[in-house]
Amino acid sequence: MKGKEWYQADDVAEEYDAKRFSRGGRLIDRREKQAVLDAVGPVEDRSVLEIACGTGRFTVMLAERGADIVGLDISDAMLAQGREKARQAGVDDRVEFMRGDAARLPFPDDHFDAVVAMRFFHLAPTPRKFMAEMARVSKDQVFFDTFNDFSTRVLYNRLLPMGSHLYGRDEVEDLLGSADLELADADHDFVLPYGFYRKIPDAMAGQFRKLDTAIGSSPLGEKLCSVSWWNAQVG
Amino acid sequence: MKESLMEIVCCPMDKHDLELDADERDDGEIISGTLTCTDCGESYPIEDGIPNLLPPDMRDGA
Repeated sequence: MKGKEWYQADDVAEEYDAKRFSRGGRLIDRREKQAVLDAVGPVEDRSVLEIACGTGRFTVMLAERGADIVGLDISDAMLAQGREKARQAGVDDRVEFMRGDAARLPFPDDHFDAVVAMRFFHLAPTPRKFMAEMARVSKDQVFFDTFNDFSTRVLYNRLLPMGSHLYGRDEVEDLLGSADLELADADHDFVLPYGFYRKIPDAMAGQFRKLDTAIGSSPLGEKLCSVSWWNAQVG
Repeated sequence: MKESLMEIVCCPMDKHDLELDADERDDGEIISGTLTCTDCGESYPIEDGIPNLLPPDMRDGA
């Protein structure tokens, strides 16, 4: 089972968080959440759209910090997990989940203060189309991540159940330009890829993470990092 | 979904307004019903409280 089918299966959705964000995966979860907050926070009373929200990791976090947020995903199994998470966190009054296509969003132009897409573009078959739609419905900010070419991700990528598109800075800038977006800020991390942290025991994860952060923040860092976060403004 | 969502959503195909026809409500939430485009007439189901605004060609079984 590959790609879309794999992503939308019930058992994949139910185990999605447990498989990805236990053990060393917790470091990843924390760092990704920090990246989102650094870029789009403070979010109190901002209206936010999350594309490909999946199980609602970021949707619920942003709602907890006061955002009025819509989480959109293609999979109802993933959204069911998201709704449960929102209910448990007591933020269901600030969150709406819906099924939709990221290339044909059911929202008017310039509606949201920020549009966020995490772990999405590496799976996007038509990234220009998606970026144009995100830019269309945002009046201020678009934030997303990419997995990078020329990084350790290249090796790890071969082991994944879903095909995955790796990006370079030129390609991202090109993509932004095509949607009339301006790059405001970028952040890069994880010389060691996500898959590595998921497999090693917790006790070792901290040590490797220290080394990883040291290399990542060196002058060569950006080139070696497997993940980049891009913060763009509507032009 | 909450009824206030109607102020935000539009038809994914032509971006015109949608009309709500609620079949089942619970504590201010719309559990099931239909959203219909006021222009093209395409309708979108609300199931288990979650509106399905996937374009018709991407719906299950399409």
